[in-house]
This record gives sequence, C-alpha cells and structure tokens, in this order.
Amino acid sequence: MSKIIKIAITGGKGGTGKSTLSTSLASALARDKKVLLIDADVDCPGDDLLLSIKLKKAKDVKNMMPVFDFKKCLRCGKCATVCPEKAIVFVKGKNPVFIPEQCIGCRACKLVCPTKAITESEQIIGEIFIGQKDNLTLLSGKMKTGIEESSLVVNAVKKFYFKQEKDFDYIIIDTAAGTHCPVIAAISGVDQSLAVTEPTPLGAHDLNLILSLTKRLKIKTQIVINRSNIGSKSVIEKIAQKNKVKIIAEIPYSQEIEKKYCTGQPIENKEIEKIINQLKK
Amino acid sequence: MKTITILSGKGGVGKSSISASLAFSLAQESKIVAADCDVDAANLALLFGLKKLRKNERISTNSKAFVNKNAKECKNIVKNCAFSAISWNKKKQLPEINEFLCEGCGVCKILCPKGIEIRKVENAIIGEGQTKYGFPIISGQLEMGESGSGKVVTVVKERARQKAERQKAEYLIIDSAPGIGCPVIASVRGSDYILAVTEPTPTAFRALQRVLEVVEHFNISYGIIINKSDLNRSFVKKIEEFAKNKNISIIAKIPFSKSFVEAMIKMKPIAEINPNYQKMFKSIISQIKLEIKNKKTIY
Repeated sequence: MSKIIKIAITGGKGGTGKSTLSTSLASALARDKKVLLIDADVDCPGDDLLLSIKLKKAKDVKNMMPVFDFKKCLRCGKCATVCPEKAIVFVKGKNPVFIPEQCIGCRACKLVCPTKAITESEQIIGEIFIGQKDNLTLLSGKMKTGIEESSLVVNAVKKFYFKQEKDFDYIIIDTAAGTHCPVIAAISGVDQSLAVTEPTPLGAHDLNLILSLTKRLKIKTQIVINRSNIGSKSVIEKIAQKNKVKIIAEIPYSQEIEKKYCTGQPIENKEIEKIINQLKK
Repeated sequence: MKTITILSGKGGVGKSSISASLAFSLAQESKIVAADCDVDAANLALLFGLKKLRKNERISTNSKAFVNKNAKECKNIVKNCAFSAISWNKKKQLPEINEFLCEGCGVCKILCPKGIEIRKVENAIIGEGQTKYGFPIISGQLEMGESGSGKVVTVVKERARQKAERQKAEYLIIDSAPGIGCPVIASVRGSDYILAVTEPTPTAFRALQRVLEVVEHFNISYGIIINKSDLNRSFVKKIEEFAKNKNISIIAKIPFSKSFVEAMIKMKPIAEINPNYQKMFKSIISQIKLEIKNKKTIY
C-alpha cells in the first residue's frame, strides 16, 4: 500500500479558483484512486454544490462552554478578568454575564473560580457533513453563524476521518480565502500545498503573503495560475522566481469553466491532468 | 459620520473592486475615509494605485505563552491546553509550545505561574496612505502565521474612525474580509449600513445568505449588489426572489465588463476609467444615501 498524499489548496485571495481546482482534482483523481476531499472553508463551504453531491449530516461540532451556578458565585469577577476573549462580562455586585458566541472553550474561567461555581457544558459551534460519489468522499464543515473562531470547526472536520485516513490514496483540503487561523489550521500537517492565483495585482499581492505563510509553516508549495490569459502573467512569474516556487499549471479563462461552475460539474482539461502527473511524482 | 461596510461571504465576487469605485464616487461629493479591514490580505490600497503606505506602525493585539525552566514541574499543562498547542519535550524535560496553535488564553499560566510567561506579540502592521482622489485610506495587515485578525480589524476601524472625526468626514467606507468569522464580525459591529456583494452562482448565493444571517444578529440595515449580473440570468432571478421575500433592497445589478480586469491592472477604480460604470456608481451612491436616511429603527 502506497503512502497517502495530503495536499492543501489555498491561495490567499478569494475567488481565484481554489474550490474549482479542489473539486476538479478530486474527481479526476477519483477515476482510479480513493480520494477524500475536505471542504475546510467552514465559513462558506460550497464544494458539494460544485460536485453536485448531496450531503448528509454526520455530527455536530461541540466546544466546551462554562455554566455558572450563581448560588455558589461570590461575584468576585475573577472569571471575567482571565477570559481572553472577553466572553464574560462582569459588573461589580452583579452576576457575571456570559456571551457564548465569543467563548473559545479554554476553561480559564473554570480554573480560577474560587468556589467551583463554574462547571462544564457544551455548545454547538458547527456541523460536519459527509457525501459520496463513487471513489470520492466529501467531508464538509459548516460553522454556526455568529460563532467567531472558525479554526475550531476546521480542526474538528480534519479530525473526523483521522482513523480512516489510511483507506484513502489522496486527501485534498480546500481552504478558506485569507491567511489567518482557519487557513493555518487547514494547511498544517499536509505534505504539500498548491497556491491558486490569478495574474492581477491583487492576486499577486495575496500570493506573496500565502507563500510567506507556507514558508513559515515549512510546507512545500507550488503555484497554479487560474484565468492565466487575463491580466499579466509576469507579475506572478516574478513572485514565483523570488520565492523559488514552481508554476505547475496555467488554466486559461473559458466560458465553459464558468458554466460548469454554475451547474455543479467539475472541470476536465489537460492542465488538471498536468497537475495530477506532478502530484503522482 | 456614517459607516458603510462592504462584505460578501464568498471571496472574489468583487468586494474590493466595488469598494474602490464606491469610495472614488462618494469622494466626489462627500468627505470620506476608507479602511481596508481584510487584514488577512489587505489589498484595497492597490486599487487606488498606492503600492506603499506611509506611517506604518506595528501593533500587538495578541498574546502567546512562553516556557521557562521552571516549567519542568508542569507536565499537566499539556493535557489542559484546549488547543493542543503544548507537547512534552522528553529530551529537555520541559513543555514545548507550538506558536501557531497557541491562542494565548493563559490557562497554562494559571496552572504553572512560575514556568510560563504570557507575552504580547506584534501581530500586525497598520498603515495609512493618501489616495490621489483626495481621501485617506487606513489599512491593516496581519503578519503571516499570526492570529487575532478580529482584534486587528477593531484597531483599524478605530484608527479610521479617529481620522474621519479629525477630518470631519461624512462617510467611512470599510472593505471587509471574505467569510463569516471573527474579522467579518468585527467589521460589521457598529456599522450604519451593510452592502452585501454577491454574484449569480450557487456558492456565492449560499455564502450571501450565511453572511446576512450574521448581519441580522446585529440589527443593521443592508442592501445587496449583484455583481457579474449578466453571467447567469436565471440565477439572478433566484436572488431577486430571495430579496423580495425578505424585503431586502437590491441596490444594483452590475454587469461584467473587461473594464474590471483592465481597471484592476491599471490599479484604478473602474468608475474612474469607464463612464458607464461612473454613472452606475453615482446612482448606487444616491440609493445608499437614501437607504441610510430612511433607515428603519428596529426596537
């Protein structure tokens, strides 16, 4: 049995084609391999739409949440002082007020409470869904709206199939746009990542950022230029050179791709095959 | 002063392009300040031709835990870290902290007061620039690998608000990050009006509905812009139906044009280089002004 290959698809800027590439790669690889695609854009997941896969709820993502017993509470305010997210508001002489959406479940409040008035409960912060299409398994995370800490849900989705990982040949992780916690959570632990960009000043700017992030996390990264025939490719080539990163594919804009995107079909073209050959190496 | 925040849920639907043209057009009739609150990848200034900002200031909104020798007795902090950021280094016989996973919550410090130090880390740069269109832009950029983007957004907004007050600006335009998490929530908080940009695709529409759920938490009035409206006309109808059912104003439907790409490459707002879009943004602005004026107060 060969080793599992774990790839993250990222890029910094939104709308460059991360999900299009993730779903197209996943379905092309699934022709003869077992593929797990993880939609780690838990803020706005959409890979199920792009693949026309019906998802089923697998489980809730829960996080620790404090519960206050005001009979035991001394109204000392220590819990509010240590709360790193200001999820506990304390006014002298009153019971502390808890804002669940801001809680990250660190348990600091419980640890400092002198009368053990704080016990543990759970709150639902998101959901995990699962879907299947032949050899392709799709795991999709969805954060509950109003919750702030996306990375907690990303980690839960990544862990969900941890024990079954060896059943797959490829694991593809589709990340959110941006560069902060949910993206870091999504890309940590992968063997390599693909940065999808477009040849515009904004695409180039954000590509530069994501390459410095993957460098800091020590993840090998290669570039895919999407809509390669709009704008000017040289800005991307310069960044690739400066960062000593290879451009492995260039996907030109086409109305056909746009149409497939809208109707939930993965794209098939020779650039996708090129990427697959690179990944198999 | 009124704060108008532009968001979208899904990335790449044209948030920054629309923010840029909105700011450009609004600045021709009112005094404004622009703020780039997409601190993950702040690039709005580029659309005004500003490659570099001045007054770059490093800020710290985040803390992280650091281990010292006294932590050798504190093996228990490993299992008590809710973010699995601490492991036990057998060789050193000391706990080890993964800086990328540490949230700086301080639970390890509570359990091991002498062995752990919680220190502030510089996690972002706030920059300021003057656009050639006569208004300033405040921009925040998170350092790569650092966290705490929501708190950085709050600082950027505060700086922009102060600037706007000093300059007696009438409007503050905020370009927010994609998604619905902490940076977006921080952008939305305290806004007077939200402009939600979408495009007629299933993913963008689903993201729009999710981000509007967040906006509704805050009781702020909002309108929708359908960008690339000629891309998929039947889907535009679907969005219009949704808006009608929920009594949401559709502020504009903006058709796609190669001018958008051209404008981006020239690093100029499309409303500056294309007269049709100039007209369109003028009418968008008068409609937004009207919306803000007629804002229903919800008790």
